[in-house]
Parts: sequence; C-alpha cells; structure tokens
Amino acid sequence: MIQIDSVEKQQHRKLIVTWSITFLLLFPILIILGLLMRLNQGEWMKLNIDTFYALMTLHGLGMAGLLFSLALAALHYLIGTRYARLSVKTGYFVYFLVLIGVVGLLIATLIGKFGAGWYLLYPLPFKGGSWASWSTGLSIVSLIILGVAWLIGSAHVVYALAKEYGGFTKLIGWQYLGKEEPKEELPAIVLITTISLVPGIMSFLAGAVFLIMNLLQFFEPGLSFDPLLLKNLVFFFGHTLVNITMYCGVGWVYTLLPEFTGREWKVNKVLVYSWNATFFFILFAYFHHLYMDFVQPLPFQYAGQIASYFSTVPATAITMFGVIVQFYHSRVKWSIIPTAFLLGTAGWAIGGFAAVVDSTISINKVLHNTLWVPAHFHTYMLMGVVLFIFGFLYYLVYTNQKQRIDENARFGFWLFVFGAYGFLLMFYLGGMHSVPRRFSDYGGIAITSTHEMGAFLARSAAVCVGLLLLGLLMMYGSLFAKLLKKHEPE
Amino acid sequence: MSRSILLFTIQDYAALASLVGALIVVSVVLFLVVTSSTEEEKHAAKEKVYKARGRYFFGLVGVVVVVLFMSLRLLPYPSFQAEADEVVTVVGMQWAWKMATGVTDKTPAEFAGSNEITLPVNKSIRFMVTSADVNHNFAIYNSSGVLVTQTQAMPQYYNELRYDFTEKGDYEILCLEYCGMAHPYMVGKIHVE
Repeated sequence: MIQIDSVEKQQHRKLIVTWSITFLLLFPILIILGLLMRLNQGEWMKLNIDTFYALMTLHGLGMAGLLFSLALAALHYLIGTRYARLSVKTGYFVYFLVLIGVVGLLIATLIGKFGAGWYLLYPLPFKGGSWASWSTGLSIVSLIILGVAWLIGSAHVVYALAKEYGGFTKLIGWQYLGKEEPKEELPAIVLITTISLVPGIMSFLAGAVFLIMNLLQFFEPGLSFDPLLLKNLVFFFGHTLVNITMYCGVGWVYTLLPEFTGREWKVNKVLVYSWNATFFFILFAYFHHLYMDFVQPLPFQYAGQIASYFSTVPATAITMFGVIVQFYHSRVKWSIIPTAFLLGTAGWAIGGFAAVVDSTISINKVLHNTLWVPAHFHTYMLMGVVLFIFGFLYYLVYTNQKQRIDENARFGFWLFVFGAYGFLLMFYLGGMHSVPRRFSDYGGIAITSTHEMGAFLARSAAVCVGLLLLGLLMMYGSLFAKLLKKHEPE
Repeated sequence: MSRSILLFTIQDYAALASLVGALIVVSVVLFLVVTSSTEEEKHAAKEKVYKARGRYFFGLVGVVVVVLFMSLRLLPYPSFQAEADEVVTVVGMQWAWKMATGVTDKTPAEFAGSNEITLPVNKSIRFMVTSADVNHNFAIYNSSGVLVTQTQAMPQYYNELRYDFTEKGDYEILCLEYCGMAHPYMVGKIHVE
C-alpha cells in the first residue's frame, strides 16, 4: 500500500472520471449499431449491405477496444491510488492516443465504409471490398495507434508494480511457493493485473507484427503473406485482448468486493498456483479459433481444446468459489455494487460454459461461425465484463448506503440485466438452429426455416435491446451527475 | 437427419448442456442470495465452502480428463477418417462456389466447376477445399436447416473434409466465414441421390 497525497489522488480521480464519461457516452452508441444490425437481419429496416458491414466492423472494434481501455483505466486508477506510483500524465497520453485511434476508425468505417470485420482476416481488407482503399490504410494505422496506447499503458502499470514489489517473480506470487510466509503481503489485484497484462503485452506485439504486415501489403499490393500465419497472429491478438479484459475486471472484484462483504480475500499458495496456470491458459486457448482450419498442425488443435477445458479449473474452483466464500452467510447489503459483481461472475460462468462447449472440436464442427459464437462472447462481455464495469463505476460515485436508496438506478440495473439475457437467448437459439453469424440478412438462404428463424430471432433480440437501453438510460441519470461532482463520495 | 423428439442433433445436445450449466449457475446465485440474510462466522463459512471446493476440484478435473479423452478421438481431421470413396474439389471465390469431382491440377483461379453437384448416398466423400481469393467457409446444411459439417476455404491451402451423406435430398452450401459484401448470398447446392 502506498501513501499518496490528496492532490495526486484527485488527479487520478479526474483521469478515471474522464475515462468513465467517455465510456458512458460511447457504450450506448455502439449498442445502437448492434441494434441496427439486428433490425436489418429481422427485416424491420433496410440498410445498404456495405453500411451493414461498416457498422458491424465499428461495433466489434469499438466494443472490444472500449471495454479493454476502460478496464485498463480502472486498474490504473485503483493501483495508482493504492498500490504503486503511476503517472497520471502517462494515463492521459494513453487516453489521447486511444481517442486518436477511435477517431481514425470512425472516419474509416463511417465515411470510407471500411467493412472487413473486427479481425481483418487477411487478405480480405485488400480484395474485393466495396470500401475505399484509403479506409483500409487508415484502419490499420488507427489500430496500430490503439495497440501502441495499450502497450504503453500496460507496460507502465507492470513496470511500476515490479518496481514497488521487488521484481517480476514477486508480482506473480512465487514468494508464496516457499516454506516460509512472505514478509510483505501481495494484494490479489497486483497478482491478477500482472497475469492479465503480461500476456496482453505479448499479444499486442503479435498484433503489431500482424498490422505491420498488413500495412506493407497496403503499400505494396504485390506482396503475399501466409494467410494461416496471419490468422494465428490476429486470433492470438484478438482472443487475448478479449480474454484479459475479463481478467482485469476480476482483478478489481477481488479488491472491492471484500469492502461490501466484510471478508478479506487474500493471496495464498493455492491462488498463486491457480493464477500462474491461468497465465498459460490465456496464451494457448486462442487455438480454438482455428479448429476449422484443418491444415493447422494437430498439436495446436489439441492445445486449443486442452487449454480451453483446463482454464475452467482455476476460474471456477478458485475465483468463483472465492466469490461464494465472500457471499455465503455474509449478511451483505444488496446494493448495486455487490449485485453487479455477483451477477457479473455468474455471466462469466454462463458464457464461459457455452464457450467451453464450443471449444470441443467435434462440437465446433457444427457450431463454428453460427450465432452460438456471438451468443457466448456477448454473455461473457455484456453480462460479465460490463457488469463488473458498472460495479466499478458505482463504486466511484456512491456510498454503499446511497446506492440502496436510489430506486431508479436499481430498477434500471435490473431492466438492463433482463433485457440483456433476452437478447442473449436469441443468439443461443440462433446457434442451436444453425443460423449463421455475420449475415447482413437471411434472404439468400434457400432453407425457409433457417431464413425465417434467423429473422424472427433478430426481431425478438431487437425488442430486448430496447429494454436494455431503457435500463441503461435509467442508470445513467444517477451515474452522470455524480461522476461530474468534484470530490469522491464520503 | 430430421429434427424429431427421438433424434437430437449435436446442436441440441450442446444447447441442453449449456442450459443445464446456466441453471446450475442461477441456482448458486439464488442460494447465495437466500443464505446471505443470516450471518455465519467467517471462518466457519469459509471452511464449509472450501470443503465443497475440494470435492468440486477433483470432480471437475476428473470430468475434464474423461471428456477430453473421449472427445479428442472424434476429430474431423483427415488422419482420423477412413479412406474416401470419392473426391470433390471445392473452390470458394468472392462470391460463389465451384465444385467438380476429382482432383484438379489447375490453380484455384483457373479451376472450372459448378455451384451445384450431384453425389451418391452412403459413400464417403472427400472434399478438397480451397479459395481463389480470401478466406471462406464451406458449410453443408441439410434440408431441415441443420449445419452438418464445415471447413475453412483458405487461399494457398487445401483443407480435406470427409463426409458421408446417409440421406438422399438437397443439401445447401453456405459460406460461414465473412468474405465481403455478398457473403450472405454465396450459396451452392449438393444433390444426394
């Protein structure tokens, strides 16, 4: 624990408030892009096909980027005000770099109609696209800027922690593996932040290689790279980014939840083993994105399923049982924050289970790239990460008692959760009925039942998104005003 | 493979397993909410949960190992499949499928094939799947709208997909990898007789 003065604390607070407001403004806009996609698939509105795919690209890139950026900012705030001296200036530098990247992507997708999808599967950005050629270049450069921002932000946090706690091995808790009790206690958030951000840094470097190869291709169209190699690079980058966003959220749940349940959540030997194992599962699980590439070396296919299956052991036996210990007979007051953390963990478990089912190669053969895929990752992100984020945002603005009397916010919260699960259910039913993902509409499918089922589920999902947005609006009423107040809640 | 009460698809089993998983999670959440109204001394509560966790840990590891052992023997890859009776070359291109029986010596761009093909029932078919431009995904749907198998169509590589059509009828080919504007209209047909 570090001691910092109130001025520095206020500076950190200003930075996280800036991030939070940015998040709260962009999040519903990105949801509306998704809503437009579902309305088009449901045949309730008619978007141009190039507009649909530009919106799909912006929705995917925007959500993945925004959620990770906010998660990183939340860790920067909590660590910077409690555990290690972090530079507020670096925090703002990262913020502005992210903004530049976002503006670039907005121009590329909304004006240039760039629509290669959020993982830019090589060589799609360069072949047969209806988007402007410059928008491909701008998207690649914007993504490089985002990658550099995340790399700087993550490296800064890990470096500062290593300096504070006496080296990298201390951050990953190896001092707990000896016979003697360590002299200095390691906060769980420090361990989890390191285990999340280090694979993150590795994946950003892989992403940089991927993006630079794409940039070379952009300037020299005669070049040709190995599409399987680039597929591995982009999925290592994309999967890891999304995966560690969840683990960053878990990091602050370990720190903040005990303040509400009154039960400490300390690092011990079991926790260290568990999170060290998670480090490897994060690195190897991405192979499950390439099961349908039959030419991928067989050991990688095995590694994908084995890592995906075994990642359930630390996630459930350690973290989720840890959450159970926190709540079981605790007399916790059910304000929004502990509720969001408990439901967020549940969403992680539900989405995670559906993901593990899909990570079985022989099942993936009939679920891959159907709506089952957005079903599980939207569960994991929307009912996992986003709930952790709302828990954190309410932590910034409310005292525990005040949250319990804000009926509007509570009602909005529950409306958001029910709307979200309705929306998710339509994806799962779509996957169960083999409805393909990433179809702007289902009019080209000759099988009438698949076409009709796809359109019906999309319409139902759109209605649920309406409820979800209404809930969000109700929560915003209290969040916005209080975030803009100058001081922390007493 | 029609959808009836007696004959479930793999998708049905996946959905059922996920539903059971979700119900277990919801039950745990409700249990925690109900039990949270009374207080128990934290060490006693911890001990009870940790005891359950020990059993859960060994149970889960056991289940993971058994399911891995069983499922990793049922892979769709060529080395796990028997010899095929017939070979079909498939080339994906923006935005059409080209199919013809036999192995080709032509490049994917030069390869001439049709987006409709007739194949025999109850024979093992080996599809040699590639692409002339970007990544596509060769996905076969039966007439009830059930996705029965798939593989990626990737430029510079041939993916070998084996499938035995055990029922006569028309099967639809959809592209399941986003490949640009007309992706949802990139279709083909297999007549099985």
